[in-house]
Amino acid sequence: MAHPSQLGFQDAASPVMEELLHFHDHTLMIVFLISTLVLYIIVAMVSTKLTNKYVLDSQEIEIVWTVLPAVILILIALPSLRILYLMDEINDPHLTIKAMGHQWYWSYEYTDYEDLGFDSYMIPTQDLSPGQFRLLETDHRMVVPMESPIRVLVSAEDVLHSWAVPALGIKMDAVPGRLNQTAFITSRPGVYYGQCSEICGRNHSFMPIVVEAVPLEHFENWSSLMLEES
Amino acid sequence: MSPFSALRVAGLLARRGVAVNISVRAAHGHEISKQEDMSLPMYWDRKDTPLPDIPFQKALTADQQSLKQKELGSWKNLSEEEKIALYRLAFNQTFAEMKKPTQEWKTVVGGVLIFIGLTGLVVWWQRVFVLPPQPHTLKEDWLAAQAKRMIDMRVNPVEGFSSSWDYEKNQWKK
Repeated sequence: MAHPSQLGFQDAASPVMEELLHFHDHTLMIVFLISTLVLYIIVAMVSTKLTNKYVLDSQEIEIVWTVLPAVILILIALPSLRILYLMDEINDPHLTIKAMGHQWYWSYEYTDYEDLGFDSYMIPTQDLSPGQFRLLETDHRMVVPMESPIRVLVSAEDVLHSWAVPALGIKMDAVPGRLNQTAFITSRPGVYYGQCSEICGRNHSFMPIVVEAVPLEHFENWSSLMLEES
Repeated sequence: MSPFSALRVAGLLARRGVAVNISVRAAHGHEISKQEDMSLPMYWDRKDTPLPDIPFQKALTADQQSLKQKELGSWKNLSEEEKIALYRLAFNQTFAEMKKPTQEWKTVVGGVLIFIGLTGLVVWWQRVFVLPPQPHTLKEDWLAAQAKRMIDMRVNPVEGFSSSWDYEKNQWKK
């Protein structure tokens, strides 16, 4: 989760998010360079003592400021496309989980081996234990084995929702009648928070997502417990 | 507070000669000058177009016309005052006059600060009379418990929050 007043990304918890972090650094650097140049030109134009400022024709600079932006755009596009295709690589998931969006909660189904399904409601602010995070905690978390490829099939039962976990670099729209697939591997164990990312009614801000990545034995214990409960 | 500062700003702006709606001017008993014909060449004082399309004074008196005739001959025959008079016929302001600093920035900065102050008053009034109380999760003890939990959970341990905590010594890194 983010700490208060955080401006940048959360630390990456999956390899894809790491790539996105580095790509963002690269692109932001280019943006800062261009903005600095433009700011410098503006200041120079405004504060110059010269009176004849309006040159009407110059082929050389026209060529430069046409070719150079095209080159810069290519320098941005190539890493971007690389990551895009990386995200679509054939992977071999160890587990498939279905995340279904409802108004206003998520439900998770682990149906690879047994029939495990449960709802995940936000814990209301007045019911929080000391130290829990307001508007982020849920009664049941989506527990996954760490460092294993997981496939998530996202859909919705009523209106549009979106399943997002920033630390894993995931956002996938939940469209009623459609199955959207996304996949991730958690690089480290931990608890990763996200929030519904498509407006879906009055409690759109109050249906968070919590992914808990644990060692495999803990995951097996948890899923046995959950099966017994239901 | 509000009507007085608005009057003050209006007074400052009026001194600057900001253009006012023509009908408002007429309603207050002012003359309305003839509208400029924008399709004809215009005169203006600008540092970056130093030679305007037309001279400043188009209509010349008899004296000024005879001076223009004298200008057609050798300029060595012109006195200092005549040269200056001819310059003033062609141009309204000299470069020095154009570049002279105005005090406009003080008006602008003052106006901006006034409005920021007014906004601040509105925000404070809203805090007192409109907004609901803050959630209990923003109290000191809750935030402390939350920070402890974030450290225990290793939230953002690489470069973020938990990376500043020294887990061996159980304190923030120096």
